[in-house]
Amino acid sequence: MEQWVVVTIIIAAYLALTLTIGLMAGRGQSDSVTGYVAADRSFGLLVMYFVTGASVFSAFAFLGGPGWAYSRGAAAFYILAYGALGMAPFYWVGPRVAKLGRQHGFVTQAQLITGRFPSKNLSGLIALLSLIAFVPYVTLQMRGAGIVIEAVTDGNVPIWLGSAVAYGIVIAYVLSAGAMAVGWTNTFQGIFMVVIAWSLGLYLPNALYGGIGEMFTQIIAERPELLDPPGLTATGEPWSWGAYSTFILVSAIGLMMWPHLFMKAFTAKDDETMRRTVILFPTFQLFLIPVFLIGFSGVLFPGSPSSSDFILPFMILETDLPALVVGLFCAGALSASMSTGDALLHASASVVVEDGVQQFVDLSERAQRRLMQGIVLLTGAIAYVFAQDPDSSLVLLLASAYGVICQFAPTVIAALYWKRATTKGVIAGLIAGTITAFFFWQNPELKPYEMHEGILGLIVHIPTLVGMSLVTSAQEAEHLQKFFD
Amino acid sequence: MNLKTARILAAAYHILMLYFVTWPGLLPFAKAEPLVFGLPFTMAWIAAWISGSVVCLILLDTVEKRYRTKDGADD
Repeated sequence: MEQWVVVTIIIAAYLALTLTIGLMAGRGQSDSVTGYVAADRSFGLLVMYFVTGASVFSAFAFLGGPGWAYSRGAAAFYILAYGALGMAPFYWVGPRVAKLGRQHGFVTQAQLITGRFPSKNLSGLIALLSLIAFVPYVTLQMRGAGIVIEAVTDGNVPIWLGSAVAYGIVIAYVLSAGAMAVGWTNTFQGIFMVVIAWSLGLYLPNALYGGIGEMFTQIIAERPELLDPPGLTATGEPWSWGAYSTFILVSAIGLMMWPHLFMKAFTAKDDETMRRTVILFPTFQLFLIPVFLIGFSGVLFPGSPSSSDFILPFMILETDLPALVVGLFCAGALSASMSTGDALLHASASVVVEDGVQQFVDLSERAQRRLMQGIVLLTGAIAYVFAQDPDSSLVLLLASAYGVICQFAPTVIAALYWKRATTKGVIAGLIAGTITAFFFWQNPELKPYEMHEGILGLIVHIPTLVGMSLVTSAQEAEHLQKFFD
Repeated sequence: MNLKTARILAAAYHILMLYFVTWPGLLPFAKAEPLVFGLPFTMAWIAAWISGSVVCLILLDTVEKRYRTKDGADD
């Protein structure tokens, strides 16, 4: 049997298993919106841990991470640095958010914010910004899935078909079971990813160079500029410290502001579970080390892939691994893509309906659920169309998505911790920050010290929020009491 | 340890971490050699801060739990 046939069979088996787990998970869940969005607030430690880890580690980490290590060297370390920093504040923020969620019945980030700052327009604005940030992120995941399948099947399964099949399955279980399916499939996919990443990350440097230290010694001898922090730009020039540092900062601030991650605070069974998840999260971050090792192992390897994002499948195919391993790797990469994609699709539907549409039209629970399922399909379809464009600069779009997402941070912090903040203040801040970030994204040559546009947005956002809040009248004590006791 | 002290120390750890993994705190440690456990120095340096973060949060959790069980409040 030809290798690609064996690989295709393994992938098919893997996809069938994912679908089964996803569909089974939905049984026993209540038919309410809380059931669909927040899994009846029932996730235990194991599920929470993998839900969070697997939704963070996407095709960006699994394909983009090694791609950066391979082409930009030390620049990739920024991805390693931000995760732990971004998650730690959630040790305090998370339980507080969860408690307010239980008290007031919040299931999305915007409900929490507009609970404190009542405004339909604010809710709609958050829904809109979330959606703007979500679409390129889903597109990236779909394209990642398609690329992997096309690469390992020798082009026998093209991108359009690979991404359609993988995401057809994701959409099927997200539609039928909501948060519960996302939880259980991510647990399965998370375990799968970790095992595949560590075994290949340790195997490749040993097989090709005789050890990890030996590999880096050779890279330092032949390509010293690659490992000299902060690494290189996409064109091979030295990267700037301003860009490196603000990439870490913006990603750390933005990380937990992604609505699909923030919503996890509402799915945790209790505060204990949430705190444990936060404590264990950096262990998931260390899983980037073997992923980088795979990328570095390609540096001195003869031949190169068509694009640096293909380095992982390229190394797997060029090193004559058995078809079984190639198939398992492919399933691991698909896990990375699908486990983030499902969370994104699920969150985008919840956010658009709960925070956008529901604010302006009154819908029954049943109609809400139906509409959410419709939006899952619609978001999936839009992303699918974008994913077919071979020239789409998705990594650029994703980096900019972080610029938008991190603008939610001052709003959330103000909602939870600053009594003097006012509705007008947070709306003004959000608009000013987003416009600034968008302006510098459009005009990158104007950025001081090559700083990330998201940080520049925050520099305008925070003073605007504070200033506008102080000149408008404070919220009533009675209203504040619901949030601060 | 006092709850407040533990929280301040944990926050301080992560602020220091931010300083030491970005400019300018990273500069003295921004080098490929010597290799640590076979990894480039900067990579091992960042990995060490991540591991420290796990330890730091576990210690904080131990203190917090003692206080939570004492007065039954959750924050």
